[in-house]
Amino acid sequence: MTGTTLAVRPSAVGSPLRPGIRRRRGRRFLYWTATHAIAIALAIMFLAPLIFMFLTAVMSSDQTLTGALWPSSWHWGNFWKALTTDDGVMLRWLGNTLIYAVLATVFMLISSVPVAYALARFRFRGRKLAFVLVITTMMLPPQVTIVPMYILWARFHLTGTLWPLILPLLFGDAFSIFLLRQFLLTIPKEYTDAARVDGCGEFRAMIRVILPMARPAIAAVALFQFFYAWNDYFGPLIYTKPETWTLAVGLSTFRAAHHVEWNLTMAATLLTVLPVIVVFFLAQRVFIQGVTLTGVKG
Amino acid sequence: MAAVLSAGPVTAARARRRHRLRVLAFMSPWLVGFSLFFAYPLAATVYFSFFRYNLFQLTPVGLTNYKFLFKDPYAWTAIKNTLWLVAVMVPLRVLFGLGLAQLLSKIKRGGNILRSIFYLPFLIPPVAATVAFVFVVNPGTGPINGIFAKVGIHLPDWFNDPTWTKPGLTLLALWGIGDVMIILLAALLDVPKTLYEAAAIDGANAWQQFRQITLPTISPVLMFSAVTGVIQTLQYFTQAMVAAHVSQGNADQAGTTTAPGYPDGASLTFPQTLYNEGFQQFNMGYACVLALVLFVVAMFFTLILLRRFHAFGDDD
Amino acid sequence: MFPRHRRLVTALIVTLTATACTAGSGGSATESGPKAEAPQTIEVWHGWSAPHEVQAFDDAVAGFRKLHPNITVKLVKGQDDTKILNAIRSGNPPDVVSSFSTNNVGQFCSSGALQDLTPFLKKDKVDTSVFPQTVQTYTQYKGVRCTLPLLADDYALYTNKALMKGSQPPKTISELTTLAKKLTVRNPDGSIKVAGFLPSVTYYEHVGEHVAPSFGVNWLNGQGRANFATDPGFTKYLQWQKSLIDWYGYDNIKKFVHSMGQEFEASNPFEKGKVAMAIDGEWRVKFLQEEAPTVQYDTTPVPVNDDRQNAYGGGFVTGTIIGIPRGAKHPQASWEFVKYLTTNTDALVTFANGLGNVPSTIPALSSPKLTLPPQFRTFLDVFKNPNSTTIPSTVNGGDFVVKFDAFVQDQWEPGKVPNLQQGLQSLDDKVNSALKLAGG
Repeated sequence: MTGTTLAVRPSAVGSPLRPGIRRRRGRRFLYWTATHAIAIALAIMFLAPLIFMFLTAVMSSDQTLTGALWPSSWHWGNFWKALTTDDGVMLRWLGNTLIYAVLATVFMLISSVPVAYALARFRFRGRKLAFVLVITTMMLPPQVTIVPMYILWARFHLTGTLWPLILPLLFGDAFSIFLLRQFLLTIPKEYTDAARVDGCGEFRAMIRVILPMARPAIAAVALFQFFYAWNDYFGPLIYTKPETWTLAVGLSTFRAAHHVEWNLTMAATLLTVLPVIVVFFLAQRVFIQGVTLTGVKG
Repeated sequence: MAAVLSAGPVTAARARRRHRLRVLAFMSPWLVGFSLFFAYPLAATVYFSFFRYNLFQLTPVGLTNYKFLFKDPYAWTAIKNTLWLVAVMVPLRVLFGLGLAQLLSKIKRGGNILRSIFYLPFLIPPVAATVAFVFVVNPGTGPINGIFAKVGIHLPDWFNDPTWTKPGLTLLALWGIGDVMIILLAALLDVPKTLYEAAAIDGANAWQQFRQITLPTISPVLMFSAVTGVIQTLQYFTQAMVAAHVSQGNADQAGTTTAPGYPDGASLTFPQTLYNEGFQQFNMGYACVLALVLFVVAMFFTLILLRRFHAFGDDD
Repeated sequence: MFPRHRRLVTALIVTLTATACTAGSGGSATESGPKAEAPQTIEVWHGWSAPHEVQAFDDAVAGFRKLHPNITVKLVKGQDDTKILNAIRSGNPPDVVSSFSTNNVGQFCSSGALQDLTPFLKKDKVDTSVFPQTVQTYTQYKGVRCTLPLLADDYALYTNKALMKGSQPPKTISELTTLAKKLTVRNPDGSIKVAGFLPSVTYYEHVGEHVAPSFGVNWLNGQGRANFATDPGFTKYLQWQKSLIDWYGYDNIKKFVHSMGQEFEASNPFEKGKVAMAIDGEWRVKFLQEEAPTVQYDTTPVPVNDDRQNAYGGGFVTGTIIGIPRGAKHPQASWEFVKYLTTNTDALVTFANGLGNVPSTIPALSSPKLTLPPQFRTFLDVFKNPNSTTIPSTVNGGDFVVKFDAFVQDQWEPGKVPNLQQGLQSLDDKVNSALKLAGG
């Protein structure tokens, strides 16, 4: 299922050149140039919005309204201003986001790993049905169940807090269960059997033997969960109030609160994006492997 | 839990019981979660759909909420918009993702860097990406339209013009192509090289190789991308909502309420009507009807996925 | 294992649905909670956010703090109705809330989100006739008085003296139209440099509810249903504003509106001298004082349509409302606070002076301590004028106005309505079916 190494392999089409066939070599060179030119042009287009964001973030407030490209003067203080505006409201959003993301990730791991393990390892009646239901819940738009869930949390007086977003993760996350199970299936059964022969119980076998081997998949689901929480807009929009807003909800109101100050809005936006970019470059492999795991093979 | 039970010779019945207990113990988080966060809300959604409920008073109203669905201008606008996105945004994303993956598969040096660049926008938090994108393409303030104007191309007023709002959102979605691209790239790289070599010996050109080898081999992955794309589009909310919010700008004051889906309902997606009815108007009963519609449609596509992929390789 | 599982699920559903059915019944007893004399802290949410506004509220509360040293008042700024309703629904509401949207009184009172204040009023023998009639109307819904007025707002025409170049402020719509065209200055490409008067609902306060009253409209008919197609006032209003928009060019208006500054900041186009005439609330007097003290301006009642000149002098009246949410922890102290703030003449006058709002009781209206600039006089007169009107409230708040403004902004102004009568008819249908859905 996994096993796909993503280091880009040498082109499958370009078989070794045979000496003496000049025309083909010329065509190949043209082809090479065209491919690279298109790729580089696209890469610039992909990066352009980020670059414009950055350039706008360091402009003066008035200049942002002119449609200018290049800052006439560089206002590095805008980042600090964005962080500290309204008594540092952004830092509070950041704090809330971290509480949500960290707790959700920890809870998800505690609850989802055993379930994925059971689905991958145990044979029991209803296993297939359970797995189908996991996929179904994974595919279900969160909006479908939101009304009764909101009513339920309101009854427990927990709306307005972050708990309605965090507590459900104590009971397994479908996407993580799915992904972990797909990975666990690739670990040969013999490893657990060996552990069991050594006198380990099933739980200890899971913790001691399987989990270390599943580290890449666990890292991937943890990262996905963390970023899901970091990026989540719908959940916090429904449940939180200004004191418990996360960065995503706060940022969407930032522009309304600072109408003309596009520079601060862009600075705040960049500050929200930055951690994601840093983590991505540190853990790129984990990410891309994880995404690939969600795909299927024919 | 299972770990505390000592290993040793046991009768078959005891072993079965122990096995069941173990399964139950491992599965218990999900069993509770499934009941509490899936089965219960689904049943409750059906239940509440027959009531008028604003969280203060619960009044049974029979089929009123269902009847209103056919008269609700917002719901129909949203259905049309969502269909537009399914018909245009989803295929474009798959095609563009395939194109990028194909391009990347041909590049040797620098391929890793390019891959990271193409993947990166997908990771940018949707709210941040949307705020930035709307600003950058805003004709009044953003630089993009200015650059194009210099070469004589006048771009539309994307997120303030009802005609161009959904194309604008589609562009935004193409920027965040990363997920589709990576899955397709992995599929492309898994096509056995020997197949291409054999075809090259037979004299097949690049296009023929693509048609006859690449496409058939990766078609299940394409299918997977398309169906998950449809399911994602059914829940498309954040970008549309934030884009409307940012471009509407001035109308956003304390004490004023505005109609959803600025401009002129062009950005109104189905989950947004649900949000608007349930959490702005607090017509929670009616919001449950909308939720059920969404559920039925999403289930339909999930079933396609499940049938097509035999539950992801679970063969027994 | 599955049969058992299914039983478990069924049991859960039954319990959960059962708890969900029993909507809590928070009574509004005048005796519940700690006594007003006990030491306690009450949290008060309000919508003001500009520094001088926040300061003004704080000053108005000073007297209450002195009077009730046992009650600590915590003021929270910048709240709106969505946040208020969410807090009430969560069961953790603040003790006192105030809101700018009188539109939502119907929702507040009919749903019980805010407590009926009648028992409190009776207990303390407060005479509600200190509030002017219009104000009494918009603070209750079908006999349930769940809010009291906390200052009022009304609307008049602001004219920039320098830009008027000696013209007298218009009194009728046709005078307004002529002047609007005369005072408009265009850029070479036809776009608007200085606007005489912007008829579009997208210009800040020029929404339907503030301008349409000049044409004598009735928002709802006797049965409480939408009236857009049947009341000729709406057609007159829409045809007038569309013809003026077309004179400017719809695209020019759109461009101007998109590039104008923030309404409540110094970048406001009237304060910047980019708009000669604008309908605005009385608070603009104070804002002009604070943000654009050099601008010379007049205020006069909003011009009326030529067929109803006898109604000149009135205007649109609304106000801020204050109430006690259901589930508030300190209702006794909250009531003392609400009573003080809405009926104490000194508090109201201090607040009105600081905010530049219209006081909402008859004694406060005639208080000699009102120290507002001469332009403010107009607003006091409009407030007392018998031709002034407010907007009705419904179970789904101001949904009919939201839909009307959306219709005008998205369909009518861009010229997408081939047949106005049909357009208004379908608008009526939409409003009425939404009303029915909400139980109206």
